[in-house]
Amino acid sequence: MEMPMGLPKVFQRVSQTPTNPHAAQTARIFDVADLYRTPVSQGPEVSATSTVPLDEKLRQAYFWIVNTAIISPHYDIEYNEAPPQSFVIGDSKGLLTLPSAQSYSSYVLLPLLTFATRRKCLFIGGPGRGKTASAILMGVIAGYPVREVRRAMQHGQPQMTIADLLGNPLPADLVQAQKMEDIRISWRSWLSMRVKIIDEYNRIPTRTQSALLTVMGDNYAEVLNHIFECPESAWFLTANDDRGGGTYQVIEALRDRIDVVVQALAFNPRFLRDLLMRIEENIRPEDVVPPQIVFTEAEVDRLQEEIRAITVPTEVRRRLEFFISQFELCESAGAQFEYKTKDTARLAGVDPGTLSAQDTGRDRLKDLGCQTTNGLSVRAMMTLLVYAKAMSYFRGNQAIELEDLRQVLPFVLHDKLTPDIEAPFFDAAGNSAYRTDRIGWQRRLFDLACAEYDRLDLDRDDPVATLELEFDRGLDGLTESETRTRLAKIERLIGEWAKGRKLYGHLYDDLLKLKYLHQRYTNYLRWLKTQ
Amino acid sequence: MISARFAQVLRSGRDHFNKRFAAARHSDPQLDWETFTRFLADVVDPLVQAVDLAAPEHTADFATHAYDVGLELATLRLIGTAAKNRAVEAAWQRALPPAARLVAAHPRRALAAISNAAHQLAVNGSTRHAEWVSTVAQLAPQSANLDDWLKVGEVAAWRAGLAHYRSSALTLCETLTEPLALAAVGAPSHASWPKVRAELLANPWHDPANPHPATALRVTRQAGGFRGFGREFSERPVVVAQGEHFVATSGDTSWVLIADAFGATLHRATEDEQAVLQPVSLSAGKVSATGTRVVTGDGEIDLGEFGPITSVAANGTTIAVTAQLTYAVVLIARPGK
Repeated sequence: MEMPMGLPKVFQRVSQTPTNPHAAQTARIFDVADLYRTPVSQGPEVSATSTVPLDEKLRQAYFWIVNTAIISPHYDIEYNEAPPQSFVIGDSKGLLTLPSAQSYSSYVLLPLLTFATRRKCLFIGGPGRGKTASAILMGVIAGYPVREVRRAMQHGQPQMTIADLLGNPLPADLVQAQKMEDIRISWRSWLSMRVKIIDEYNRIPTRTQSALLTVMGDNYAEVLNHIFECPESAWFLTANDDRGGGTYQVIEALRDRIDVVVQALAFNPRFLRDLLMRIEENIRPEDVVPPQIVFTEAEVDRLQEEIRAITVPTEVRRRLEFFISQFELCESAGAQFEYKTKDTARLAGVDPGTLSAQDTGRDRLKDLGCQTTNGLSVRAMMTLLVYAKAMSYFRGNQAIELEDLRQVLPFVLHDKLTPDIEAPFFDAAGNSAYRTDRIGWQRRLFDLACAEYDRLDLDRDDPVATLELEFDRGLDGLTESETRTRLAKIERLIGEWAKGRKLYGHLYDDLLKLKYLHQRYTNYLRWLKTQ
Repeated sequence: MISARFAQVLRSGRDHFNKRFAAARHSDPQLDWETFTRFLADVVDPLVQAVDLAAPEHTADFATHAYDVGLELATLRLIGTAAKNRAVEAAWQRALPPAARLVAAHPRRALAAISNAAHQLAVNGSTRHAEWVSTVAQLAPQSANLDDWLKVGEVAAWRAGLAHYRSSALTLCETLTEPLALAAVGAPSHASWPKVRAELLANPWHDPANPHPATALRVTRQAGGFRGFGREFSERPVVVAQGEHFVATSGDTSWVLIADAFGATLHRATEDEQAVLQPVSLSAGKVSATGTRVVTGDGEIDLGEFGPITSVAANGTTIAVTAQLTYAVVLIARPGK
């Protein structure tokens, strides 16, 4: 099949050179077919049989969108190989950094990683900033014709009913049917698509939002006891105002299902010339997506498998554990140790921030947990790991680096970690901007957690990790005396920590872990005695 | 002046063609309209006429794709006055018209493939681009379809000097008919393909067009040269064997050297390849060098013109030598057994 007329090939150029070259690790193979491959694209009939690795194809897609489809990219995901050049600018002492390694635009990269992992991405930002256009691009990259993507897009509006969203019973069946099962449902076509787009989701009425929640959360739709099983898909939602300024308040469970939030940043008028050309030439990026960057269903399946195979080194995982540990503790929320959490306070209808403010003895500026009103859900942690793996995969690596985690973290936790803007941290000099800049705040939060981790020297001196390692070797063949020794070790450690140390989030989780280990050994000891 | 047929196609799609040029000039403000129109008149028009004769039903589509590919070539500076060479234009003018029947229905694929191949051959200084153009033009009538013709082009590229494609090209020959495979490797039409193939596999210095085996050591080729003259080596290289190939090292950089009867190509060595290099030596198995002479069990050869030998490496068919008076690696074919 040849390319249809009217598609300007120069707009469809995809990087032919490796987008993020890594040293070849396999034996050198010279394929004479390379003769015809570059620099001019051979069109879709050849591209369809392309053997480009999928991570490379993903990068090709990213660079095509950044260089061709998006006029004004912002490189806010910064990587450095050497210390970057930085400049302090303005009265607020803003820092402009020129990264020394390949850096990325979150507005393009996060949706693309969402596509690759089949997760859920929310675009936020003012009207007319390209949120919907970017979502449509993702549909086209999934292989759907532009027209089909546009037609399948759900537009949130105050009159939207469940039938509008999911489908209608056939009128004839409604009249003639004797039983519910006899009523056939005409399901809406978007339900079967692998890229689902909900435009202005915060304008959907609350009741319809609940039906949407079932589709988003459980991947099926239900009308009159009939079930439609949806395929696994990537979701792209847009909202002009994510802080509740839509027509309807978005139900919390629906918000919680969203995996990443990306903000459409402002258009830089220095790129107006490109915008003018777009108007004059009447070119829409979604109409000229190069076939080389269109993924088949099987390819996206493979992408997911390959991303899952990215490893998480222990030292990176430990820092993430330490970071997450900071937030759940609310010492005065519970009498029993396990219930000293912000969630306990929240369930009781008490503001955890108010309770935290009553805590005494701890340094509220140093305690990172004081900066948030909540802890992190398991879903958020899983999402964080998936996106960190996807980021590492996108960069052509086999294992996550700490920086991958640091870069994706604020987009995943954007709506998951709520700042307590009354916390002393936000009043400190130079921190007031963090009240409004969630991305910057969460990145700072992670950096502070890592600095504390380094200060405590936990990479080298982590007694809980040592005990955990000991336990992971298994209980098989463990003698009674050895078990008692280990129990004593745990009790001694808790005793040491109890002497005058303030209770911080990471310490709280360490103590609960020690209690877990103690319980496992106690149960084992009890079993040993019955033998 | 352009032909009435091409003019008609351009006229009927005027809006589209103009938009495409404008879009291309947006991303490349240096794009020259005059150069491009000259390419359309001198190169694309004759081709469109050839397609119009061979398959008139495809003329309009072919012309549109030729315009698009031409525009892409112009932005890549592979055609026109800004191009470093005329390889791509020559391929369009001489290789494509005889294949008009084959390329008419798949213009994008064919035009891109031929352009890319012409460019690859041209940028590799040691290849014979004109020979490749001539071969593919000559074998177009014998090719049943575009796939076969493009395969012939791939085999011809190997024979025009891209030695590293040898193994892959020979595999490709297996998918061609016997007459076309023989023609593609330059063997006489009465030869037997299995025999020709076996000889090619056994000896990289075997040329089916000149199948007489050498009986003595002979210098067949020099590979690489001084960077000051646009070649690879900043310092005089030394050479070691690595599997069936050689690795030449100049300064901090190493190059994999692949050579046969049709050419020699150098490829920057990867870190892995550099990590397993053998030590440089003046002897390799039963091959040794003394002064300017190379001595083997098959005989000896004096390389006086290149000066005292600095390194020698050998495999079953080839001896590679470096010397004090040359920046090239001298390749010696061992007599066929």
